[in-house]
Amino acid sequence: MKRIILILIGLVSICSVNAQDFNANVQKARQSYSSGDLENSRFAMQQMLLELDIMGGKETLKILPGTLGNLEAKIAEDQVSAGSGFAGAVIHRTYQSADKSATLEIISNSPLIGSVNAILSIPFIGTGSNGDRTVVKIDGYKALIQKGSDNEKLTYDIQIPLGSTLITLKTENYSDDIVKLANSIPVAQIAQKLN
Amino acid sequence: MKKALICFGVLFIYQSSANAQFLKKLQEKAANAAEKVIDKKIEQKTDKLIGAGEGNSNNTNSSEITGNNGNNNSVNRTGAGAGGRNRMSNTEGGGLITTPPDVKENLNSAESAFKGSNYGAARYAVQQAILGVEMEIGNKILKSLPESVAGIAKQADQDEVSSSGWGWAGLNINRTYQNDKKQFVFIIANNSMLSAVNQFLVGGAYGQSTGGQQKWKQIMVKGNKAIIEYDADSGYKVSIPLGQSSLLAFEGVNFASEQDMIAAVNEFNIEEIRKTLGEK
Repeated sequence: MKRIILILIGLVSICSVNAQDFNANVQKARQSYSSGDLENSRFAMQQMLLELDIMGGKETLKILPGTLGNLEAKIAEDQVSAGSGFAGAVIHRTYQSADKSATLEIISNSPLIGSVNAILSIPFIGTGSNGDRTVVKIDGYKALIQKGSDNEKLTYDIQIPLGSTLITLKTENYSDDIVKLANSIPVAQIAQKLN
Repeated sequence: MKKALICFGVLFIYQSSANAQFLKKLQEKAANAAEKVIDKKIEQKTDKLIGAGEGNSNNTNSSEITGNNGNNNSVNRTGAGAGGRNRMSNTEGGGLITTPPDVKENLNSAESAFKGSNYGAARYAVQQAILGVEMEIGNKILKSLPESVAGIAKQADQDEVSSSGWGWAGLNINRTYQNDKKQFVFIIANNSMLSAVNQFLVGGAYGQSTGGQQKWKQIMVKGNKAIIEYDADSGYKVSIPLGQSSLLAFEGVNFASEQDMIAAVNEFNIEEIRKTLGEK
């Protein structure tokens, strides 16, 4: 219990530090702009973008489910990292049981995701004749499921593009209904939070 | 008897070849006749279609004349809409207003969206503010550039500042100088991706060799490492990596020599540009 409280306090303090950083950068951007120092104003704004990506990522982690099917979330391994707009923010969570695992990765605010969207929308790429690749709907959004085998492990790779955001779920040894598992992801809420 | 047999044989061969020729001619005639019939049918069909189209356009024209003499545009638009084809080309309109986004207003919006934990809206507002400030930086640099270079006047209508507001894609500034004989284009690219390009340019990737035709070489322009290139089709190009994330490119068409090109480049205040871009 103590540990949970400490973790919560830690999380809150990290968030508040970020909020302070954002506010400080807003002030810096304003002051630099008013004094004609456009480059420093621009730099402060770029910092604000990074902070927003991190904050948005942390908020997204909060809405992700604690369990995915019978897989438990490894909260301690949660990660949020932000690039300088080029790769956007990357939100990472791992779910695991004794012999199965799933990795959820969300890349947000990346202009490169538009091209992924375009690729997914091409019909012959979207579906494969051998049935290993198929397009389904997850929480109302189009998604591409790709089945594969890596070192004799059954793997699934699910990609859900949402504007400039891409959700990727990779599973290992998960042989149950993969679409049902993916439907546990609150895609609509993530879209609302990040786009 | 032999003679009779030979004559009979010759007659048979002649007859066979005559039959073959006759069959060939018959085949050709049949093919020609078939082609003519097909062509005629196609012509008839095409005429019908064209006739129908003309009929429609004639109807439209008549409605233009009888219905609305003073305002052909509106009638034309109706005709085009009804047909679903023959899209009109635009002849009026002032284009879009190129006022950059208001930086202060967008910073306020970002702050209030952030307070309301609406990170998506806050991000959009910050991007707009970045867009606004980048446009201002671009315009400030354009104002500081010389009015003419190597006796060639600037083409003010071709001045261009572009920014995506994404941060990484950054800022691009274009200025063109041109007269009847020469063209000089100055491009500034400022984005985070350029640090890799700059390392490539100054890292010796552009080597120099003796013998053969020299296409590029390393030079110094006002204390900055630079590359000068020459191409028979596109002319001279001088590239100067600036600081961590900027690149200046000068392109000269119909410049007589390398010295002329470098003299034109030297007319620019590179230090001032560096300062405005915040490069060290």
